[in-house]
Amino acid sequence: MATLSPPRTAAWMTRRRRPAREIGLLVVAGIIALALLSPLALVALDAHSAGWGEIHRTLFRARSVMLLRHTVVLAAIVAVAAALLGTGTAWLTERAALPARRLWTVLLVLPVAVPDFVVSYAWHSFAPRIPSLLGASIVMTLGTYPLVYLPVAAALRRADPSMEEAAHSLGVGRWATLRRVTLPLVRTAIIGGCVLVVLTVISEFGAFEILGYQTFTTEIFTEFQFDARAAGSLAIPLVLLGLAVLLAEGLLPGRTVAGSAPRRAVRPVRLRRMTVPAMAGLGALVVLAVGVPVGTIVYWMAAAQQTTLPAAATLTSATLTTLSYSAAGAAAAVVLALPVALISLRRSTVPRTVLERSTYLTKALPGVVIALSLVFFATRYAFGLYETSTLLVVAYVILNFPLALVCVKASVAHVPPRLTDVGRSLGRGPVAVFVRVTLPLLAPGLLAGFCLVFLTAVTELTATLVLAPIGVQTLATQFWAFQQNIAYSAAAPYALVMLALAVIPGTLLGLWFDRERSTRA
Amino acid sequence: MSAIELHEASKAFGSTPVLERVDLDVPERSITAVLGASGSGKTTLLRLIAGFEALDGGTLTVGGRVVDDGARSVPAQHRGVGYVPQEGALFPHLTVRGNVGFGLSRGERGRVSDLLDLVGLGELARRYPHQLSGGQQQRVALARALAIGPAVVLLDEPFSALDASLRSELRRDVARILSETATTTVLVTHDQGEALAMADQIALLNDGTVIAAGAPRRLYQDPPGLAAAASIGEFNLLAAQVDGATARTALGEISIVGPGASAGPGDDGLGGSCQVMLRPEQLELRLVAGSADTAAEVLEVQYLGHDALARLRVRGDGTPVLLARIPGELSLEPGQSVWIAVTGAGRAWPATAAS
Amino acid sequence: MQLFTRARGPVRRGPLRRSLCAVLLAAGACLALAGCGGSSGSSGKGTLVIYSAQHPETTAAIVAAFTKQTGIKVELKNDDEDVLTAQLEQEGSRSPADIFYTENSNWLQQLDDKGMLASVPSSTLARVPSRDNAANGKWLGVSGRYSVLIYNPGKISASQLPTTAEALADPKYKGKLELAPAETDFWPIITSMIRAHGRQAALTWLEGLKANAGSDDHTPDNETLVGDVSKGDADMGLINHYYYYRIRAEMGAANFHAKLAWLAPRDPGFVEDISGAAELKSAPHPAAAQKFLAFLVSQAGQNVIAHSKSFEYPLVSGVAPNAELPATSTLKPNPITPAQIGTGIDARNLLRQAGLI
Repeated sequence: MATLSPPRTAAWMTRRRRPAREIGLLVVAGIIALALLSPLALVALDAHSAGWGEIHRTLFRARSVMLLRHTVVLAAIVAVAAALLGTGTAWLTERAALPARRLWTVLLVLPVAVPDFVVSYAWHSFAPRIPSLLGASIVMTLGTYPLVYLPVAAALRRADPSMEEAAHSLGVGRWATLRRVTLPLVRTAIIGGCVLVVLTVISEFGAFEILGYQTFTTEIFTEFQFDARAAGSLAIPLVLLGLAVLLAEGLLPGRTVAGSAPRRAVRPVRLRRMTVPAMAGLGALVVLAVGVPVGTIVYWMAAAQQTTLPAAATLTSATLTTLSYSAAGAAAAVVLALPVALISLRRSTVPRTVLERSTYLTKALPGVVIALSLVFFATRYAFGLYETSTLLVVAYVILNFPLALVCVKASVAHVPPRLTDVGRSLGRGPVAVFVRVTLPLLAPGLLAGFCLVFLTAVTELTATLVLAPIGVQTLATQFWAFQQNIAYSAAAPYALVMLALAVIPGTLLGLWFDRERSTRA
Repeated sequence: MSAIELHEASKAFGSTPVLERVDLDVPERSITAVLGASGSGKTTLLRLIAGFEALDGGTLTVGGRVVDDGARSVPAQHRGVGYVPQEGALFPHLTVRGNVGFGLSRGERGRVSDLLDLVGLGELARRYPHQLSGGQQQRVALARALAIGPAVVLLDEPFSALDASLRSELRRDVARILSETATTTVLVTHDQGEALAMADQIALLNDGTVIAAGAPRRLYQDPPGLAAAASIGEFNLLAAQVDGATARTALGEISIVGPGASAGPGDDGLGGSCQVMLRPEQLELRLVAGSADTAAEVLEVQYLGHDALARLRVRGDGTPVLLARIPGELSLEPGQSVWIAVTGAGRAWPATAAS
Repeated sequence: MQLFTRARGPVRRGPLRRSLCAVLLAAGACLALAGCGGSSGSSGKGTLVIYSAQHPETTAAIVAAFTKQTGIKVELKNDDEDVLTAQLEQEGSRSPADIFYTENSNWLQQLDDKGMLASVPSSTLARVPSRDNAANGKWLGVSGRYSVLIYNPGKISASQLPTTAEALADPKYKGKLELAPAETDFWPIITSMIRAHGRQAALTWLEGLKANAGSDDHTPDNETLVGDVSKGDADMGLINHYYYYRIRAEMGAANFHAKLAWLAPRDPGFVEDISGAAELKSAPHPAAAQKFLAFLVSQAGQNVIAHSKSFEYPLVSGVAPNAELPATSTLKPNPITPAQIGTGIDARNLLRQAGLI
């Protein structure tokens, strides 16, 4: 034990660093979360100035109970339907021997790209007498099932097939294995997707206006016509609903272990006689979710009585504007989602989880509330930003942050801390390790988050109308303008371009899964 | 000169102590195996040396430098300690070449080819980790760790994920590579055979403390205590009455060594009773009774190919089941009668002092 | 030593990373583009900023004609009038808007109540009948629309139609009526009914309407209402006249199966709504704003409105409306003025009480 000479102290001994790096990350994530939650400040202020009496009258009348019931019922129905649909389609494309798998992967993701006002208009013309709850359920399910499909497909791809094989060897039949082994593996993914679905339903407005389904959000818009401040306070139940959903999700037991990559490729389940029905089912789904709106648009164009087709120049400039704003918003959302996703990586404590979950909350608010809150802040504190593209991009980020977060988190869970440890042992500092090891491994999740936010931003309408620089048009606002003129045939090309724009990232998103060769970490 | 010195190292996670006052000396250019069961703290020990965790108490010296004194610590990237986790942990987004060269600056990248040749994977430089077998991945991981010319290389159960046949081959190769590069190595494992085969020094880790450390041969044949004996190899434990340099046991009179032995009966003041340990290979089985042999009945035989382990019970006695190692050709049936002859001396400890 | 390799096929990761880089680069470029592309909040000198809730096509035509005549460039923000009003209120005195042009006068009234409007020059006000302007001269009437009954002749014959708004609540019309109570153009009718029959009677009337409209809890917008009547899903509804003409023009007369029926002269349900404009007190370009207001009620401006597809009635005398519309002289609406229509807060409260919204 004795050494010949006293040991030299290392020249760069540092203070114990264990909490230091994490604190930087926590601070950054905290700032981001605060910024994202800022619209709630306006809701609170509005409520305060409206006064308790006004709020009481607005919130607690019989109609409010009915609205709440409507919102909750619809959210529940859509969550269940989207979960079933998303999980079923994910299983088909990931675990079954489905012909033309890659094509289906792309097609199944496309509904995110269809503007909701187009979808509901299409459905209303298609089936006008449809009961409003049924119509709303169909429209929302078709529009949101990709939010479940994406994470579940990713989880299935990573899940270890040896567990299912073990079940088979124990004599458990195929369906029972599915129920008792496979589904629990992807439960976290399903639930995560359902949270997004529920929040989307809560904040949805454009689709319901046409279908005539009354929810709290449609009420906000109606209330806007009377008293913007009371309308703001109507957002409070939405926030509470969102909180309830997030809490419920947090309380659910069981996190799937960040899976180690499977050792073998999964042997796809042969469908045999079920192949044709499965393909037919998927085909029907795609036709309903994408074909009906597209068909309607084409019909509009064909049935044009007044050929007020848009000038190529306006169409081009609107396209470029949409592209640049949506891409900027998507990039910013993904970059900001990174620190928030990383805080729960090493240690998952209650405060960290709360911080991360809080960023989901504003998704429960409708776009116009968020837009007006930004007007409030910008006109008071940052007037130089008002009605610049920057503010609109900020709005896009706030509106769609949870979408980016879900994708980035899915990737983060699969960066084993081992790898960063090894990186450090090889002499690289934390920054170098992050850039050279963590980031490349996160790349698929970042890309998926980018695509998802991009798709949603392309079709965003209400916030864009409020915050876009004056005179600047996006495809969505142009579409809306023509639709206001009841010039549907003129509006149609804009909708088609929106869809066309969305096909590229939609394809990229679909291919994200296909490309994800399970890596051995 | 020791490459690594741990002095009274302690580490706890929350309120759970994992390592308590561990002392360990790793001589330069040697392979030290840390042997212990799961949960004994082996991986934590390794991570402390690597710098991913910091000591709560005690000091850690690497290459003559104090890198952790319980209050301050040098970060991992400045310690020059190579680390090969379980299952290699190769970067999946880099090729083999990229992996091995990860810790090297641009100018040093030329070393990669030499290292790959060293581990025998020269022509796989362009492959990605998922295209390699488990053994190949481990080799690449080793090459990667050696690339930065570390003072010490840490291996965390490096062969546990491999098939048995691959394991011994890889073991030999790795031992060769490590000695060729004159690298100080700390190897953590729960496989006793691996530790015995590869290491120059074995440290036995049990419940967060090092209960024994020394050369494999000495630890096996001359373990300092019962717990140490139990950690390496099979053994038989017999109650005995000490009588000078011999002890009376159920297997007759056996010569003994160790702390339980004394000059004469009653000299040690313990009433003369002790416990005697015999390794299975010290029990010779005969089909025909010899003079000093003890009769026993075969309970079962575990055939291992190169030899077999027979479980026996001495007739008419309450002694525990004994293990004897027998040549593979000798075929015994359960219930068969055999006679046991003891070769060599047994290791004796006083009856009350069990460790 | 056997070195065996298991070929796994071409590696995909390269292209994925490349596409990620490409995408991020593009995003970065777009950020830069977006930064320079969008104009900042303060417009250049001589540019007029209009917040318009009027139908975009009409407004665009007016603006184009205005720029051609005066050379003043205009920047237009289109949005729903309730959102624009809320936005203007939030912006307060820092608003970049010069002009607020709406479809219904009650929003202008609401802003005026908050003291946010500037006085319109009396020469401009004088061009339209004084009852169509704000009583205190803070906003200007530009065009008019009338409430009318739209019905599907295949489902209900003209003789069966009610001639008064009051009769709409008659139980014999149960299930035949479709309402759009959330639409702003419905409120003036309610305000008129309150004025004519008193609050309680108006409430009863609304409840009767609700019963006739069915239990579906539907609150469609006007376009949907017209479409539903044309398709025969509803027998009749109350709308502003121009919706009929516009949708009929878009769908083609052959595909459009609805007809208009005017209510009895001076009936409380026969209301003229005024679409108006105002200059904001905080307007950065007051001179240009006043020029625009003058243009709106000039011969040229009113002609643009008359010839556009908006199918509204120009308020300036001597300008003929669209040829398809019945002449103004044939219409005999209730004499209620925009001033009496006010902000519509009574109507709102009544609607709420009736449980319609």
